[in-house]
Amino acid sequence: MSVLSKLKETLVCLKAGRVTLPYPAQAQPVPEKFRGRPIFDAAKCIGCAGCANNCPAREILVFDVCQEVRILKYLGRRCAYCGRCADVCPEKAITMSHEFENATNSIGDILQKLDLFMSTCQRCGRCFKEPSPLEQLKLKGYRMDDLGNERWVYRSKAFLNEEQTVDDVKIELG
Amino acid sequence: MTSRETLAQLKAKFGPAILRADLPADNRLLLYVEPFAIKPVCQYIFRDLDARYVISIGADDRPFSGQFLVAHDFAFDRDRILCSVLTHIPADKPKVDSISDVVPAANWAEREIRDMIGIEPVGHPYPKRLVLPDGWPDGSHPLRKDFAWNQVPEGFDEEREFKFDEPPEGCMVVPFGPFHPTLDEPAHFRLYVEGEMVRGCEYRGFMVHRGIEKLAESVLTYNEIPMMAERICGICGCVHNVAYAQAVESAIALRLPPRAEYIRTIMLEIERLQSHLLWVGLACHIVGFDTLFMQSWRIREPIMWIAEKISGNRKTYALCLIGGVRWDITPDIKTELRQLLDKLEAEWKPVVAAVLKDKNIQARTSGVGVADKTACKNTGLVGPVARAAGVDIDCRRDHPYAAYDRVDFDVITADGCDVWSRVVVRATEVFESIKIIRQCLDRMEPGPLQADIKDELPVGRLGLSSVEAPRGESHHFVITGENNRPRRWRVRAPTYQNLQGIPAMIKDQQLADMTISLGSIDPCFSCTDRLETIDLRSKAVKVWTQEELVKMVKARKA
Ligand code: SF4
Ligand code: SF4
Repeated sequence: MSVLSKLKETLVCLKAGRVTLPYPAQAQPVPEKFRGRPIFDAAKCIGCAGCANNCPAREILVFDVCQEVRILKYLGRRCAYCGRCADVCPEKAITMSHEFENATNSIGDILQKLDLFMSTCQRCGRCFKEPSPLEQLKLKGYRMDDLGNERWVYRSKAFLNEEQTVDDVKIELG
Repeated sequence: MTSRETLAQLKAKFGPAILRADLPADNRLLLYVEPFAIKPVCQYIFRDLDARYVISIGADDRPFSGQFLVAHDFAFDRDRILCSVLTHIPADKPKVDSISDVVPAANWAEREIRDMIGIEPVGHPYPKRLVLPDGWPDGSHPLRKDFAWNQVPEGFDEEREFKFDEPPEGCMVVPFGPFHPTLDEPAHFRLYVEGEMVRGCEYRGFMVHRGIEKLAESVLTYNEIPMMAERICGICGCVHNVAYAQAVESAIALRLPPRAEYIRTIMLEIERLQSHLLWVGLACHIVGFDTLFMQSWRIREPIMWIAEKISGNRKTYALCLIGGVRWDITPDIKTELRQLLDKLEAEWKPVVAAVLKDKNIQARTSGVGVADKTACKNTGLVGPVARAAGVDIDCRRDHPYAAYDRVDFDVITADGCDVWSRVVVRATEVFESIKIIRQCLDRMEPGPLQADIKDELPVGRLGLSSVEAPRGESHHFVITGENNRPRRWRVRAPTYQNLQGIPAMIKDQQLADMTISLGSIDPCFSCTDRLETIDLRSKAVKVWTQEELVKMVKARKA
């Protein structure tokens, strides 16, 4: 038996005392830069779709109802809280909030939908200058993502067939 | 030897069989050879030049060159060269000579190429299905370019059963996993047991294969992939994030601003600190020594907090984009980080001092899970597993990236070849990480965080990058491509090689040593638990339901 090392180990424990935090009864404040759920501000958003085009999780959908109205829908289900949407937004319309307790049974709780009024642009109708060639717009001009089934519409043949995602996760659309 | 001299030697030996050689940098060697020469060239590199096998990659290059591509990556650790031996295979005859009988470490990688791309490794000693699920039809290969990322192959058969090998004479089969109390990830070992002794095993894994490479090659874009790469692993995510970015940067020969390199180094070392402390705790937990498990995790927690302060999240740092980093280390954080390192060092020292003398842990782990130098060479074992067997390799020193060429540190080795030595190596490496971060903080110069990228990235370039993850070398291989995304991205996490060493490690050992042997290579850990409270006075236990928890949190917020 190595009594000495056991004593030393006991000392380490005694010195540490109690460290467990009383979460969830009490939450620690999060640091200033914490990346929680992104919050969209419809008043600032110009509908450029930069966020939708550069979201790694494809969580932001865009649907052009007509020339003047564009719908932006943030789903939030797979959102990785990476903050890239907030990075590329030219209008600072997205803030990475301090919300982190976002687990829910009703997916509608975390969804955000923006109805945007678009004025007509002289060129394509939908323009956005990307920060670098790596943040390219994947779909220029008009966009018709599938809002009903909540998924991106790809230009390539890599397009989701109906049955495939519906069986994916059973979620309650609220 | 420099890469030029290595090349000259290879040319002298193989002459015209070497079709082309590229030396995109001093420390890279890309060798295009005739298909018939692939095996002798690899054998020569692996045995005569004593290079370390890293990984094999298959790619469907038909849309671009009309052929398939196979690459075997090797590392010349002493000479600081990463080398790729490539060969093109005709589209109508997807067959290549297997190198597994001369380079045993290529066993899995070649089977993966067969499964995913459909290139047959001719002469493979054990050409069994590895990656694809049981019900997947033969002849359907998901990483081919004509296979869409979301396609479900025709003829997928839910009922089809996997054919396991017959156990050797006199052995019983004990299934271990996919669900097992001490196995944190779903993998299945069929252990062949004779009494209490393990005599062999068959492995069936890849149950949580997520098709990440396919997504990157067909859906995501260059700057989106880092966020997904970091989700390859919950413990060493930043490693993959950096390794991917570096592979692309190496392909397009992009220089980073120095400050970004220092920040990458700091974040990687922060990650190593938390991973080593986590693992030492877990290893103790597996052998039933929960005191140290608790203490190690307690000491670890402040590291998570500082990572959260710097990056906005305690584990997913979302650090890199191509050409730089997203988060700066401000003067405030610098001060705080320095204080934290001092405290960490002061707290970790007595723990290590106590543990390294603890006869009980030593008795439980010495001579267990043995992998010696030969096993490391043949199976391509990396990281603490190799260093604990006296194999002096560490990508931070051997293939310097980020700012590692500007800091001093020691590569810790031991020679017990067993679990105990791995504990010693990882517990001691903590101090080296502290040293590295301190030097970075001292030497970091002000400057931009991101290189300017003015044009689209060039197409068809090859990039290799190795990053020393806490549990071993993580290797990424990239071919740049069209549409703002790579054509091919191959990730080799350290566990891919280390897991192949397990059958040898557990052979002729007690069944009870299986868990710690496996635990010693550090497969990942993730867990979700619900809340249980114990009243300290009455000892009454109350398990909280989900509703009650939600109520509590809502009441707190209101
Ligand atoms: S935080 Fe990241 S994953 Fe979430 S919506 Fe924004 S870009 Fe997409
Ligand atoms: S990037 Fe900003 S401005 Fe553009 S659509 Fe998204 S939220 Fe709106």
